[in-house]
Amino acid sequence: MTTTETDAVVKEPTAPATPSDQRERERMRRRAARRRGGGWWPYLFLAPWFVGLFGLTIYPMLDSLYLSFTDFDLLSPAKWVGTENYTRMFTDDPVFWDSVHATLLYVVVSVPLKLALALGVAMLLNRDLKGIGLYRAAFYLPSLLGGAVAIAIVWRQVFGGDGLFNDFLGWFGIKGQDWISSPDTAIYTLILLAVWQFGTPMVIFLAGLKQLPKDVYEAAEIDGARPVTRFFRITLPLLTPIVFFNVVLQIIDAFKTFTPAYVVSNGTGGPLNSTMLYSLYLYKKGFTDLQMGYASALAWVLFLVIAGFTAVNFIASRYWVHYDD
Amino acid sequence: MGHQISRRTLFRTASGLAVAGALGGSLSACGGGTGAGSTSSKLTMTWWGSDDRHNAYKKALATFQKSNSKIKIEERYSGYDGYFDRFNTNVAGGSAPDLLQMDTALVAQYARKGVLAPIDEYVGKSLDLTGFSKTLLAAGTVDGKLYGVPSGIGVNILTVNVTGLKKLGLELPDREWTWADLKKVAVDVNKKSGGKQFGVDDGGGGTLQAFEVFAREKGQTFFATDGKKLGFTADTLQEWWEFWAEMRKDKASPPAAITSAAHNDLTKNGVVIGKTLFTFDSGVYGAGGAITDAVLDFLPTPKGDWSGAREGNFVNGGVLLSATKASKHIADSVKIMSYFAQDATAIKDMQLLRGIPPTEKARSLIAAGLSDTDKKSMDIADYISKRVAKATDALAAPQPPPNGADQIWDLLFQSNLAIAFGKKSIKAQLTAFFDQAGSILSQ
Repeated sequence: MTTTETDAVVKEPTAPATPSDQRERERMRRRAARRRGGGWWPYLFLAPWFVGLFGLTIYPMLDSLYLSFTDFDLLSPAKWVGTENYTRMFTDDPVFWDSVHATLLYVVVSVPLKLALALGVAMLLNRDLKGIGLYRAAFYLPSLLGGAVAIAIVWRQVFGGDGLFNDFLGWFGIKGQDWISSPDTAIYTLILLAVWQFGTPMVIFLAGLKQLPKDVYEAAEIDGARPVTRFFRITLPLLTPIVFFNVVLQIIDAFKTFTPAYVVSNGTGGPLNSTMLYSLYLYKKGFTDLQMGYASALAWVLFLVIAGFTAVNFIASRYWVHYDD
Repeated sequence: MGHQISRRTLFRTASGLAVAGALGGSLSACGGGTGAGSTSSKLTMTWWGSDDRHNAYKKALATFQKSNSKIKIEERYSGYDGYFDRFNTNVAGGSAPDLLQMDTALVAQYARKGVLAPIDEYVGKSLDLTGFSKTLLAAGTVDGKLYGVPSGIGVNILTVNVTGLKKLGLELPDREWTWADLKKVAVDVNKKSGGKQFGVDDGGGGTLQAFEVFAREKGQTFFATDGKKLGFTADTLQEWWEFWAEMRKDKASPPAAITSAAHNDLTKNGVVIGKTLFTFDSGVYGAGGAITDAVLDFLPTPKGDWSGAREGNFVNGGVLLSATKASKHIADSVKIMSYFAQDATAIKDMQLLRGIPPTEKARSLIAAGLSDTDKKSMDIADYISKRVAKATDALAAPQPPPNGADQIWDLLFQSNLAIAFGKKSIKAQLTAFFDQAGSILSQ
């Protein structure tokens, strides 16, 4: 309501303002301010959001922080144990370190590959071809299916011992193995699944590419810059804010990956904990092994690690992200 | 029969909860202990199993409701995957089912945490347990109180693909066979099949059907009576792992990748995919329903072949029916338990879908209508329970396992796998196993 009025005020003067116009504008601005200050009912409309924020985010988070200092088995009341859960994690839980190892490997390998592929495909799709919309949709499709359990199940079949992937290798006379059930390769099938779902960053890159000023390219072309030079000297530097945005988002996402690991390993995180991604381990501790206090501690460590990574990203961004100013 | 994991991997509450939980969000959304239970007047009953089992339960319950029209039953069922995860969440959220199918492996944990209702006061009144043996009821008895009615006899068996054996010109071993006999026939399978098949799936990480029996043959148990320690020595476990390392070396058992793929996935079981002819996983037949076309037969877990070996087999309780403590319908739940235990219609509906029926009367009721394989399955259960009852050197049936038992079984499996993949030596893994098991049991 109030915004429309202010908008109207801003748009109004097309001719040079006369003193009476100015008076009129001043009057309307005051009326808008009065409305803004005096109305309580906008908060009524915001109430569901506040209930959501406090009831579903802040309160549970604080509660889980409390639980992380307790021994809580979901079924009986929580018992205060101080920092025991945190010490146990770092000193007496080899599976925790297995899951840290698997998760870091997953993040470090999948995020750069995914972003490189997303950018590459976005460049290819950034043209005016006939039916380009169709191509863009086709490349985005895996991301829509991405979170789905069905895809993870398909993945298990494709990379199993008698799966499609080995059939494919067979055409070239290569004898495959069971990629899912070998501790050396299982995590890479999950990484591949993540990389395959490059649609979301791709769409963001595409939007970024559309914003790049055409005249710079024209000037570069006249000066004889080759495509590779144009990419590294113009596209990439101008795109760094977008790259940064995607890096931050994808790292956070990768740390939280759960569904594919759960489904592909049949809920085991195996073989030999090689696909025990952190979220999966956290889930197992909380809901299967009935150690919700410990799981809460795990969740808070993850929260801090993600916050840490994000902070480092922001600090580092000062040195490589170029804003247009 | 331990964990019968459904081949259909049902994925329910998992993903949403945990992904949000990773940021600390929903983890405690269900905090606060047990609430008042369901507010509806309907009695909620849950179970896991195969489609066959679902249908049998539904049919039996429909008959029950005809003569007990006041008891309204809401049926919830799924595969084994996630069944107890969901149960835990429901209990914490105050919406636990009133009556549930319970795993003999987990009953002690839930009873001690005060989730299950003791039902001793109903026995002999609304709960008719005539014909149930004491050893069988032990499966549902925790600290002297009854927390569940066993659905049937569970025995430790190997399932054998007889068709496959015949094709190779091999005989089904005698029921009184030993570990050495198992090794011999398994090596023969590999040789006669030209290396295409391995004899028996890798039992090195197997628990109930395999290692527990082996330990008992050594006069040791899996868990100490107090449930705070392991009941077997490092020597026993070392000997066991060495046996299986040799089996893998001789190609009597498949390589690690095949064992690993079958973990929690019956459809990848060696017998099901035709890679082995003997399996320790009773789910291949049992309540999962047959998922292979081959003619199957059953053998007891092999005997010890050293001097002084004891009878290691034992009789367990199939699955249980238990009531929850917070329930407002305990008396009605008990009525249903009694119905499944004694009523002729229910027994005929369930057949062997929850194990071999627990009483003589029930067994004779269904004997006529059974398939050949069902008959063999009932016969082997009868054979083993008689042999165990006659044995003078058998240890008492194991107590319901303590908290953390399933983590230790998983550890045993993972340890054997680490050895099979060549990631760890047996010696190194032994140390790691006892360290980690100790830390799990002390939590």
